[in-house]
Amino acid sequence: MIFHPGILALLLGSALTTSMLCYSAYEGVRIIRNWDIRSGSERQLELERRTYLVSTVMSYVLGFQLLSLFLFIYTADTLSPLFIGAMCAAGSLNVNGFGYSALVLKIVSCLLAGLWLVVNFTDNRAYDYPLIRKKYWLLLFITPFLIAETSVQAGYLLGLRPNIITSCCGTLFSTDAKTVMSEFLALPRLLSEAAFFLSAPITVALGLYVYLRSKGAYLFSIVSFIHFLISIGALISFISIYFYELPTHHCPFCILHPEYGYVGYPMYLAILVSAVSGLGTGIINPFRNIASLCNVIPRIQKRLALISILSNSAFVLIAGYGILFSNLSMAAY
Amino acid sequence: MGAIEKQRNILDFTLSSLGRRKGKNIALVVVYTFVIFLLASVLFFTHSLKKEAFLILQDAPEMTVQRLLAGRQDLIPTHYIDTIRQIRGVQSVAPRLWGYYYDAMSGANYTLMVNAELNDRAGEIIIGNGVSMRSMSGKRNQALRRNDIIPFKTYDGSVLTLKVRGLLPFASELVTADLILVSEADFRKLFSIANDQATDLVLNVRNAKELSTIAAKITQIHPDTRPILREEILRTYDAVFDWRGGVIFMVLSGVFFAFIILAWDKATGLSAEEKREIGILKAIGWETSDILLMKFWEGSAVSMAAFFMGIFLAYLHIFLASSILFEPVLKGWSVLYPSFRLTPYISVYHIATLFFLTVIPYTVVTIVPSWRSATIDPDSVMRM
Amino acid sequence: MIRLQNVRKVFNADKANEFVAIEGVNLSIDSHGATVLKGPSGSGKTTLLSILGCMARPTSGRIMLKEREITSLPERFLTEVRRETFGIVFQQFNLIKGITALENVMLPAYPNGEKHASLKKRAMELLDLLNLIGKAFSKVEWLSGGEAQRIAIARALINNPAIIIADEPTAHLDTRLSREFMEIMRQLKKEGKTLLIASHDPIVYDSTVIDRIVEIRDGKIVSSGDIP
Repeated sequence: MIFHPGILALLLGSALTTSMLCYSAYEGVRIIRNWDIRSGSERQLELERRTYLVSTVMSYVLGFQLLSLFLFIYTADTLSPLFIGAMCAAGSLNVNGFGYSALVLKIVSCLLAGLWLVVNFTDNRAYDYPLIRKKYWLLLFITPFLIAETSVQAGYLLGLRPNIITSCCGTLFSTDAKTVMSEFLALPRLLSEAAFFLSAPITVALGLYVYLRSKGAYLFSIVSFIHFLISIGALISFISIYFYELPTHHCPFCILHPEYGYVGYPMYLAILVSAVSGLGTGIINPFRNIASLCNVIPRIQKRLALISILSNSAFVLIAGYGILFSNLSMAAY
Repeated sequence: MGAIEKQRNILDFTLSSLGRRKGKNIALVVVYTFVIFLLASVLFFTHSLKKEAFLILQDAPEMTVQRLLAGRQDLIPTHYIDTIRQIRGVQSVAPRLWGYYYDAMSGANYTLMVNAELNDRAGEIIIGNGVSMRSMSGKRNQALRRNDIIPFKTYDGSVLTLKVRGLLPFASELVTADLILVSEADFRKLFSIANDQATDLVLNVRNAKELSTIAAKITQIHPDTRPILREEILRTYDAVFDWRGGVIFMVLSGVFFAFIILAWDKATGLSAEEKREIGILKAIGWETSDILLMKFWEGSAVSMAAFFMGIFLAYLHIFLASSILFEPVLKGWSVLYPSFRLTPYISVYHIATLFFLTVIPYTVVTIVPSWRSATIDPDSVMRM
Repeated sequence: MIRLQNVRKVFNADKANEFVAIEGVNLSIDSHGATVLKGPSGSGKTTLLSILGCMARPTSGRIMLKEREITSLPERFLTEVRRETFGIVFQQFNLIKGITALENVMLPAYPNGEKHASLKKRAMELLDLLNLIGKAFSKVEWLSGGEAQRIAIARALINNPAIIIADEPTAHLDTRLSREFMEIMRQLKKEGKTLLIASHDPIVYDSTVIDRIVEIRDGKIVSSGDIP
């Protein structure tokens, strides 16, 4: 293990959030088993109070997850000089088998926590809390992901062994570690360009349709998710190189560096927000016929669609700015 | 827009409430600030040392070749230069002479290094500003000046007197403070080193990518040597400083837990007055989430105040007050230099790390107590 | 306006110290009237008042407000109903110390998300109505008993509620101030507010403002007749 403050911070933060979540899951089980809104018994009143605790915990969990996603990448970046052949996070995440799994789990748990908050927000707008059991089942579904995320992250961070000089031997001869992930994601440029420039307007158009007509939430939701994957692929395969001004550099992480004005942060944030809001419209759609929700859900879906439209546009605008004002001319390649 | 106005109204009220309970909050903010100050100081300090080491090593040769004898570093024969120069890709090879000289009078260890500029000026030295040896004429512990004459004890038992020609500029104090530059002839005389031997060899190569191939070839030709790359030294320094920082963090965890317990205690031990207030707010139409929102703003205000004050104080401590508190623990190179200033440098990453190490634990311990106080029954005020 | 059907409230259920505060209460409160809940302390008067005022949920029974059943409304929504429908005056006024009279009056409206400026304007108008304009920026601990009482009334009125609830409002007032309080109540009743007062002070229940006295003893209603 490397005794690095960033590593300590990540381990501590994850351990704390996960234990809070486990506690919430325990409360969730109690709520699923004993909830009876018609009752005025003290137990029911107590359970109602607990729902406030769980909501609060989940809002914090989402906040922490989002921060820790970026802190994780940043830490991997900072540690890269310790590993031969690692130029940035892409290399140090590859040092052991857990790096990329931890990253993927972190992204997934961010999305899941965001979706839970969407469901919770919806449920809290209905006077009879119609989704109460469903949302606590969802919470029980999310908890293992966070536990997995915490364990895999710990496995990754604790398993790091820096390539340092020891008194007994000199130069360490190791082959340059290849950044498998970025090569895998560096899809053929034309294909990913086509996919992105097709899926971006479609997603925005469907978002507008949901916003104006309050219809088509499922389709919008599915398309949003596909667009989420395409956006990440596009960012790596062709958008980032305009920022790097290097036609062969397909790194998903260098774009977060200060030399590119931290432009990666708003871009990744926009991708995540639009994925959560897009998926959120779909996840609450099955409940739109519940009496106490039939007025609420279309309003929330409208708002989510708007958020999705805005964040997608923000992403396209930043990417477009990078492409148009880049000194890199792709014509030569 | 209602939601934003609501946040503003509740935030306004929270801030005025914090003002009303200064006594209670001040103690917490002071301890909180102190914890952040300590952690931030460690973080800034280790990072600046890393940065300093990086700056120094930037000018270092890309590769150094040492000779090992029974696992320990030994003098390297200069004829190795010829064979190494033959390797494809090697641009230049040069011998270096350097070592340590222990001065019994001042009880300090100095770094002696041969400087080519002095080679035609045997008998003269250039010294760093941390060197305080006793000159022939001067008194003990007096700062050395130009033209002072210093006696050195050679390894064959005789005395070699050298004259101070000048002092080194301040540029990077960390390396130059204890440095003495001498001519090659004087160095060999001092330590009785034969003319065909050197301390180590330094290499420059044409293409940095070939470094490890060249290193492999060197060990193949001369199995008794150890090539060291600049990258590796940097990496090792990085790891060592990080490790030291981490150790200090663990040592400080005691202080940290004390703070967490205090925060827990403050959050759970609501005064009767505060309970009554929350009861009133709930009775007149505030909802549990409104109180939770108020508690959120309260925690944020306390955290932000402590966070920025702590970071500000740590900045003053490390970059302006020469890190007086833990210089002896972390620097660990030589205790010679009384003070040196580090170049101020703070990154977003440090702020984020500190945030994770302090604000998140604080928030976690206050969630349950805040929730508990927010769920006071609205009719409780009518029962008091 | 409010109807209670067979309402029961138990504290510490299934424990050794189980305590039934009220039981089998059926009560109907009409709009625009003034009702007094009368009874000795510990009779369940306060519990009944807090259930009527949507501050607590009954253990069993049903509550209708206007035509809406609010029995099993979760706290989140019950609070909304309470904020819109009820203004509450407490026994000890329960003003928040350390902030100004004006802020105290504005507090119940904060969660509504009304613009600060327009809320302040409404609060000032209320203070003007109750002759307190000069005291708007005084801290509440510097106010006299009569002023504190009127601030408490202003606070109860800020959300323009249909029903005013008062819990032993005259317990800490002298005779003159008690009568003044009842005069303000008369004024409010004239404006169309429904009044609901818990008290065992003759100045209150003998006042001509009062239309009806509901008497409670040991958690049960013993008489709920109109005043002839």
